[in-house]
Amino acid sequence: MSIASPQRPHSHILEATHVRHSKSSRPVLEFLSHYVFSKDHKVIGLQFLFSTLLWFLIGGLLALAVRWQVAWPWSDVPVLGKLFEQQGGQMAPEFYTMLFTMHATVMIFLVIIPILAGAFGNFLIPLMIGADDMAFPTLNMLSYWFMWPAFIAFGSSFFVEGGAASSGWTSYPTLSTNVAASPGSGMGQTLWLLGLTFVGVSSMLGSVNYMTTIILMRAPGMTMFRLPMTIWAMFITAILQAFALPVLTAAGFMQLADRLIGTGFFSPEGNIVNNTLTSTGGGQPLLWQHLFWFYSHPAVYIMTLPAMGMVSDILTCFSRKPLFGYRPMVYSMAGISGLGFIVWGHHMFISGMNPALGTTFMVSTMLIALPSAVKTFNWLGTMWGGKLQFTTPMLFAISFVSMFIIGGLSGIFMAATPVDIFIHDTYFIVAHFHYVLFASTAMCVWGAIYFWFPKMFGRTMNEFWGKVHFFLTFIFLNGTFFTMHILGAVGFPRRLADAYHYETFHHLQPLNAFMTWCAIGMVACQIIFAINFFWSIFFGPVAGRNPWNANGLEWTTPSPPGHGNFDFQPIVHRGPYEYSVPGCEKDFLMQTDPPRVLPAVTH
Amino acid sequence: MGRFWSLIFLAVPVLGVGTFAVAPFFNIWLPADVSEHGRSVDSLFMFILWLTGAVFVITELLLFWFMWKYDSTKSKTPAKYVHGNHALEVVWTILPAATLLFLAIYQMNTWADIKMRRPVMAPTVEVVGRQFEWRLRYPGRDGSLGTPDDLFLVNDLHVPVDEDILIQLKTMDVLHSFFLPNLRIKQDAVPGMKIPVWFKALETGEFDIVCAELCGWGHYKMKGRITIESRADFDAWLEKKYALQEQTAPPPEETDTAGL
Amino acid sequence: MNASTTLTGSGHGISSHDDSHGDNGNDPSGHSSHGLVLQYQPGLPLSRGKLIIWLFLSTEIMFFAALLGSYVVLRFGALVWPKPHHVHLSEPIGAFNTFVLICSSVTIVLSLEAAKGNRASRAKLWMLATLLLGSLFLGVKGYEYSAKFSHGIYPWSPRSRVFEKPDLYYGSAVRARLGEPEIIERLKKLDETPENQLTTEQLRARTSLSQVRKIVLNTDQQPFDLAVVADQIMPLATETGHGESGLNDTFTWLQLPAVIPGGTMWASTYFLLTGFHAVHVVVGLIVFVILLTMTLGPKRAGTIEAAGLYWHFVDLVWIFLFPLLYLF
Ligand code: HEA
Ligand code: HEA
Ligand code: CUA
Ligand SMILES: [Cu+2]
Repeated sequence: MSIASPQRPHSHILEATHVRHSKSSRPVLEFLSHYVFSKDHKVIGLQFLFSTLLWFLIGGLLALAVRWQVAWPWSDVPVLGKLFEQQGGQMAPEFYTMLFTMHATVMIFLVIIPILAGAFGNFLIPLMIGADDMAFPTLNMLSYWFMWPAFIAFGSSFFVEGGAASSGWTSYPTLSTNVAASPGSGMGQTLWLLGLTFVGVSSMLGSVNYMTTIILMRAPGMTMFRLPMTIWAMFITAILQAFALPVLTAAGFMQLADRLIGTGFFSPEGNIVNNTLTSTGGGQPLLWQHLFWFYSHPAVYIMTLPAMGMVSDILTCFSRKPLFGYRPMVYSMAGISGLGFIVWGHHMFISGMNPALGTTFMVSTMLIALPSAVKTFNWLGTMWGGKLQFTTPMLFAISFVSMFIIGGLSGIFMAATPVDIFIHDTYFIVAHFHYVLFASTAMCVWGAIYFWFPKMFGRTMNEFWGKVHFFLTFIFLNGTFFTMHILGAVGFPRRLADAYHYETFHHLQPLNAFMTWCAIGMVACQIIFAINFFWSIFFGPVAGRNPWNANGLEWTTPSPPGHGNFDFQPIVHRGPYEYSVPGCEKDFLMQTDPPRVLPAVTH
Repeated sequence: MGRFWSLIFLAVPVLGVGTFAVAPFFNIWLPADVSEHGRSVDSLFMFILWLTGAVFVITELLLFWFMWKYDSTKSKTPAKYVHGNHALEVVWTILPAATLLFLAIYQMNTWADIKMRRPVMAPTVEVVGRQFEWRLRYPGRDGSLGTPDDLFLVNDLHVPVDEDILIQLKTMDVLHSFFLPNLRIKQDAVPGMKIPVWFKALETGEFDIVCAELCGWGHYKMKGRITIESRADFDAWLEKKYALQEQTAPPPEETDTAGL
Repeated sequence: MNASTTLTGSGHGISSHDDSHGDNGNDPSGHSSHGLVLQYQPGLPLSRGKLIIWLFLSTEIMFFAALLGSYVVLRFGALVWPKPHHVHLSEPIGAFNTFVLICSSVTIVLSLEAAKGNRASRAKLWMLATLLLGSLFLGVKGYEYSAKFSHGIYPWSPRSRVFEKPDLYYGSAVRARLGEPEIIERLKKLDETPENQLTTEQLRARTSLSQVRKIVLNTDQQPFDLAVVADQIMPLATETGHGESGLNDTFTWLQLPAVIPGGTMWASTYFLLTGFHAVHVVVGLIVFVILLTMTLGPKRAGTIEAAGLYWHFVDLVWIFLFPLLYLF
């Protein structure tokens, strides 16, 4: 028996691109309400996408400045050098501390978290579950608009007295709470905390909204175990956000109180900084670390689970094969999020916390590698015996798997408490988290952009330049970050403006220079991406509803979908990965395709 | 093109392993180890390196192989319509679980040696972090810390070889981390806490003391030196420093207020 | 359900666009932008509004859990912690406030019942009662706060009159206070007051006070000496022990610095916890005021219920706070 997948006509793509309101007499207001203060989840998703890409660029340039100083300390900085004219064009060490603090802040809070949950979560959730929008469009809009005050708070902190926050993205007290401890611990740190609160509000509004939408607004027949992995990932991420973030918010308020009104939650009795005695005391510096990591460890999974979900979707589509082990994939994601709440202490092995706790956290940390292992093997299983199509999104997705293995395995070194004594706060850690954050997650984000671009803009991106972009990024990122492992093995400490005056690290400068060249190449080749991206929005080949022959619900809508998303009532008859079904004419069955054996419509 | 991309991904394990294999020859590797703990830390590091190295090579090779073999432009067989395999799932859950648990248990003893089984003795020296220097305080002739005859020094730590050394670690201001790369010792100094750090050096020599926790703009320059020397040399050095201090100024009073 | 997969809109409706997106979560029919109203598979038997309130409350639980956890860690990590009476906490007042809040939880339930039963004016009455009870709670809280302030207990210490131990800083603070012109003025007046115009308590206090002044003033200007005599000043200045009913209570204008071991950290956590709770109460009151402007019929039952859930949560937090702060 053969089935034709309903390829919906797409003659209205262009109308759909520009949702027009002909009766309008107030064009400015109309423009504002459709494109700026829009409540449509697709517009909001794209707003998130454009803003986070912009911030990504800023974060990348900050990274280059960081790399410059690490490779050639006290040399004249190109471009940025003009800022340091008083110092003769060189970067001051306190400026270096601000640079990496803000690099991490921008990348984590303004790029990775919002691009995954904000851009893709927003754009994809209603489309993939068959809803016309989020459950609460206004909340959704607010969640985007809270990002801007955050950006302004972070960004403006460079220009206030003392400069931007400079105690690392971890903001450990008493460095961060005591104004005397560092120039950036003044106004800059206060603004940092403020920005963090805004980001927190944004994520919170998003997460409760996503959960409500996914629970209540699935199309008929879309049972939980027929959801695409992306949706599962977004759902579990939202749960993580909802339960972890309030703790950081509370901690942030406490740090603000310590700084602004002089409470002493995080400073002990008799603390003297820079020859001034702290007037309050009785608090505990380690308390902040516990609260911070109670959020920030789950946060690293917030920064990876959505990517895992999207990779599963892309990988199956271009392997033309069902996902290997759907349920184990779901359970392992749940496992990651559950275990994610009990491993935060692995960031504090040598912090002075009770070493017996260190042992406990080591065991739980080792265990959290288990669900990740299950996922890795299932991805491999998905590719096994498939018919792989090496499109640009597929290459990025494969690189996610490949790079995640590297980043995950270096996590095992650090989970081992005795080994962590040596490698803690060295470039081994820096290698680890750039592999999971950049080489995995950010690479997946690119893959996802190439994959869902047709749905977002109705046109496809250029494949050739996409592959060139992939190739160069892949080479340069490994050149930059793989070498960090062996730097870390020497014990090369992170957050040092200049490490070469140490005998132990003196000989590592050439290697660092190499890494910096790679980093420059990595940022430079994004020009290809930027051009491809913007060019394709306007001039790319027009895509139909389903350019990849994928089978999720989002591919049944027009590209791009109009207001309300669906021009028919979607009814779901099967799981999301029915590729290469034997006896079927096409090699994919859409989720909406009517069942082959009638009557199976149970609804 | 499928072949090309497969080879690109094959380069990952090849160059990855290559980097680790070549690095020691360029002296970009674990720095010389001169302590008892260092031996066990290094062997654990190598153990994990081999283990994860094996996992790394196997998984990356599989990835390469699948890309090579199942390239849609080359392979004629249709895609397998499978949704998973229960037995396989069980195997690849249990195997890593056992490995990881074993790994955790295997680490515990070394961890306890380094951080939990503190030798019963009076502290050899008190190390106090301060933006941006290491303040040292040796018990004077009376052998106990905190008395007026203590010896005060900055950044110049000396310890005798082949003996248990117990350091009392404190900080006056912000977090610092006392990092001895060549002894595989690292411990944060936390305001308001007195943290014991112990080790036993097995070779003499002079090495770096690094501050490994961000402590402000001067974090990068918070450098000290540790000299490991024979008992006789150590005693002689101590005596000399002591005499020097007697002649010159009274002890710097800030160190008295260093916490607690 | 009509399982029709026929194309309905095929895109035409898309351009005739109607921004009817409301956030009315109780309307499950969604938005009708182009004639097509999407059907959904019911996940849970809850309206959107109710579900999101529950989810929101669970994030709130984590927020207060973090604050309470910090309180527990700081309290048990502290060397000393003041007893409630050291810091002028009154258990009866706290208990009364707990009672007020519980009552308000009852009245809001009654309001919901009335609204469901289409008795709008009665619902409004109960809502008003809830608002009043909530305000009463805040009022009592404000009274308690001002009592703390008048004893020099603020969440911060530089400007506070609370010292952890009788040390140099304490000694100098007492001396500084006694040296202020207005205090010198009042003290002079006090000294001149004939004995028969003073109660026995005031008499006794006056004696202690003059002793304190003697110690403080006899010490020469060396700060080191102040550190030594601080030990002697402290019991005199507090007269019957740690601030229980000390000179400050007898002469409210005196406002001498006080020694409360663990007092600043206690104050920091107390104001943190009760402060954030009070902020939540205020938010609740604002919601009640808004609700009072509406007709509280069955249509509003969902909103009242959501507000009620939130209010119960605020109540619940207090039920944790009261014993932790007042009783243990
Ligand atoms: C997306 C982000 C992300 C992810 C997914 C992870 C995943 C993991 N991380 Fe990572 N981590 C960070 C982001 C992330 N981390 C960041 C940002 C920091 C630094 C913060 C800072 O200090 O600034 C950090 C720091 C960090 C530390 C602290 C180090 C220190 O400061 O001293 C530790 C210690 O245990 C750790 C462990 C782990 C482990 C065990 C995993 C595991 O989840 C990995 C599991 C995956 C695998 C293991 C690979 C696949 C599995 C197989 C192929 C199966 C077979 C394997 C075996 C049998 C071994 N991480
Ligand atoms: C998601 C997180 C993320 C990402 C993506 C990155 C990306 C990069 N990071 Fe960063 N980094 C962190 C998170 C991240 N980092 C964190 C948490 C720290 C710790 C900070 C601390 O110690 O407190 C850190 C610290 C850190 C250090 C250590 C500093 C130190 O300890 O002294 C270094 C040094 O090399 C570094 C380098 C880089 C480089 C070269 C990149 C490059 O990969 C950057 C590449 C950037 C691009 C490629 C930009 C691409 C631009 C576009 C795609 C825009 C296109 C535009 C349009 C279409 C409009 N990072
Ligand atoms: Cu001291 Cu870094
Ligand atoms: Cu972690």
